[in-house]
Amino acid sequence: MHLSLNRRHFMGLMGAAATMPMMGRMASAATPFNFQASWINDAEFAGYFLAADKGYYKEAGLELEYLSGGPDVIPESSIIAGKADLTLTTPDTTIKAIVEQGAPFKIIGAQYQKNPIGIVSLAKNPIKQPKDLIGKTLAVPPVNVISVEAMLKISGVDRAQVNIVPYAYDPTPLIKGEIDASVDFTTNVPFTIKQAGEEATSFLLYDFGFTIFNDTVVVTEETLKAKRKEIVAFLKASRKGWEENLKDPAAYPKTFADTWFKGTGRSLENEVYFNTAQKPLIENAKGIYSMSEEAIAANIEALAAVGITAKREHFDTTVLEEV
Amino acid sequence: MATETALGASPETTRGTTGFRHWSALRNAAILLVLWEILGRFKLVAGGALPAPTEVLIRFWSDRGDYPAHILSTFQGASLGFLIGNGLAILAGILFAVSPVAARLGRGLNVAIFALPPIAISPILVLTFSGMTPRVVLAALGCYFVTMSATVTGISQTDRRMLDVVRAYGGGRLALLRLVEIRAALPAILAGLRVAAPAAVLGSILAEFGGGGRFGLGAYLIGSLGRADPARLWGIGLAATAMALIAYGIFSLIEARLTRSTRAITVAATPPGIRSEGSLLSTIAITLASIALPFIVWWLLLKILGTPAMIAKTPAGVFDYLFLAPSATSAQTRLLAALGQTLPMTLIGMAAGLAFAFLLALASVVRPSIVRSFMPVALVTQTMPLVALTPLLVLLLGRGPSVILWITISVTFFPAFVTLAQGLGMVSRGALDVVRAYGASPFTQLRLVSIPASLPYLFAAMRLAVPRALLGVMIAEWLATGTGLGNLLNQSRGYLDYGMIWTVAVVSVLISVLFYQIVIVIERHVLQKRGMQPAA
Repeated sequence: MHLSLNRRHFMGLMGAAATMPMMGRMASAATPFNFQASWINDAEFAGYFLAADKGYYKEAGLELEYLSGGPDVIPESSIIAGKADLTLTTPDTTIKAIVEQGAPFKIIGAQYQKNPIGIVSLAKNPIKQPKDLIGKTLAVPPVNVISVEAMLKISGVDRAQVNIVPYAYDPTPLIKGEIDASVDFTTNVPFTIKQAGEEATSFLLYDFGFTIFNDTVVVTEETLKAKRKEIVAFLKASRKGWEENLKDPAAYPKTFADTWFKGTGRSLENEVYFNTAQKPLIENAKGIYSMSEEAIAANIEALAAVGITAKREHFDTTVLEEV
Repeated sequence: MATETALGASPETTRGTTGFRHWSALRNAAILLVLWEILGRFKLVAGGALPAPTEVLIRFWSDRGDYPAHILSTFQGASLGFLIGNGLAILAGILFAVSPVAARLGRGLNVAIFALPPIAISPILVLTFSGMTPRVVLAALGCYFVTMSATVTGISQTDRRMLDVVRAYGGGRLALLRLVEIRAALPAILAGLRVAAPAAVLGSILAEFGGGGRFGLGAYLIGSLGRADPARLWGIGLAATAMALIAYGIFSLIEARLTRSTRAITVAATPPGIRSEGSLLSTIAITLASIALPFIVWWLLLKILGTPAMIAKTPAGVFDYLFLAPSATSAQTRLLAALGQTLPMTLIGMAAGLAFAFLLALASVVRPSIVRSFMPVALVTQTMPLVALTPLLVLLLGRGPSVILWITISVTFFPAFVTLAQGLGMVSRGALDVVRAYGASPFTQLRLVSIPASLPYLFAAMRLAVPRALLGVMIAEWLATGTGLGNLLNQSRGYLDYGMIWTVAVVSVLISVLFYQIVIVIERHVLQKRGMQPAA
């Protein structure tokens, strides 16, 4: 068979080749940098999407590879396996891994100053404080069980008086009344519940003594040594993205609708709600990601309540000083 | 009664599972749909958690822009895995059928592959490979065992008389294989491929949950879970089911075309040759090698892939974690507590699933139309990702033992049913004609001919059911009850307790292998008495 290229096909190929530089692949002297997100593409990562779209990473000399997360993705595993250079985690699991398994992690920043995880219930059967949980059924993602147990302990509620069942991230059982409350991101689920025709009420675990960060920025000690310059560049560009995004939480989600958010099955209104709700949890007078000494001490104290002996040395604040 | 006998006597109906050929099947399906619509519309099930078919369709239409990319992505992973997994499975099946030594050596590895819990290995695959590879591997693993054992079954059940004819004319091993055995095995292989097709789709979707990729029905499902929109979840699940159903239909059609020429007309008068076991010493050596092989492969794979030691535990690493490390006592306590919850449920669920499959397979011989209208429902239970159904199941059945039992029955039932129905369908017509000539009713035919003749298939189905039952229990524990091994595995993943993840995977494989061996011992005893050959 004779293989020939007609003109139209040829032009098509040229066109495809021409788009390549737009994808950042040909950007000169850019260093590849892999970022593992902790969840599927939603407003939780709006700052990174914005920084990528506006070319902040490219300006900083990085060629960003963005890896989406999900319920089964263990972000820490990606950096141990060398698939990603930097990731976002929950500090309790990260520090548990450092202490119990000698995992070589360093926490170098925190996206959420206050953990958005809370207890969500229906307004018609409200649970407004930990004591209200006595005698109720609470759905908890297995990963968060220790956080919830800590919060109960700190609030003086006997663990045996709360019926804890697994939560699979679907609010249907809550809306139908099969469970009384669930543990989820308070920035997200109340919107869904409202869509289903119910009113939600919620409180943060943070406000009842479990004072930890969330989406802590984590790298391995080895990467921190080898790629410190790139890590600083990444944090700088991401901070810029977040600052721009939080100026008006309703402004940017729609620009991601056909790109980052495509095919996630979530509505734009949901993302705007999320983006607005997370603003006070992220913002920080010392600059986004900053970890103050008081906040670190609060984390260490809260984790001690669950039997995780966090130390100051697990947190490294020097990287952000260079941003 | 007279019409029933006439129905049962037509050769068409003894096969039973080939598709919607009769109006009665269509009628039954229509009744089911209308019933479902009423249940959904009037919110009669679980306070409206079961959406009506029209609601699902409307949602599907408004989501239509999302689907093509997701379906294409899942199709790519599933079909590539299907091709690779089944290709390897057929080759391995031929090797095991031809060489009894290879079969005994490979037994440990085969069962280990079948018993690998996808929920445990999916995160490990995702870390070790990138892009589509985890999906392809999981889809291929889902296909391998079913097709491999179907191939061995088919070849080992070859009519000895045909082999004798080829041998008498000087045919060698290859000629026997080419002229007789592969042809004789074709219906069994095709039945295997039929079961493998939904397994490949499900394998790809399971890997998508953990893969972090943006497209694929599994990824779409994860994104939609938090939306409390059952109509969307059912739409995604039914899209997955439709993919599996099309593949299932294609192989059913091919099978229907090809098996007409391979069905035995008369009964073989000579019993199949009895496998020589060799000396005691060689038996022990081969058994030990068969046990060692999975461990060697496990260790080698990790060395070759170079996965970091913290994530990838070698056999020595797991031993250290469970017996030597300072945390060993705590690990043992947690493991034993979980086993105490999981094991009893596994046994009960398996027994119930098998009983159900056996009854339905018998019903398929007597009344094929029941089965035709039931098959789509059974297929849905295979390919509907359980994550999508969990909220509904929990609302219907609560979070107690009954939800574990139902999920376990639903995952063990289908492969057991296909194996059994196929065994009943392969019963020689001559033997049936004898009892029919004496005016036997369909039930007498079953009792005297079909059930005894299908014994090897019953044991094969039992062996298939063991690891699946364990998996079903673990999935239910993980999603609904928060108990047992399933919960331990999920929690360990969250806590980065890689030692426990590997321990649970290894222990679940060991349990499956143990049960499997028990079934084999009973099977050998029963079948040798009757002069039969084990299926696979």
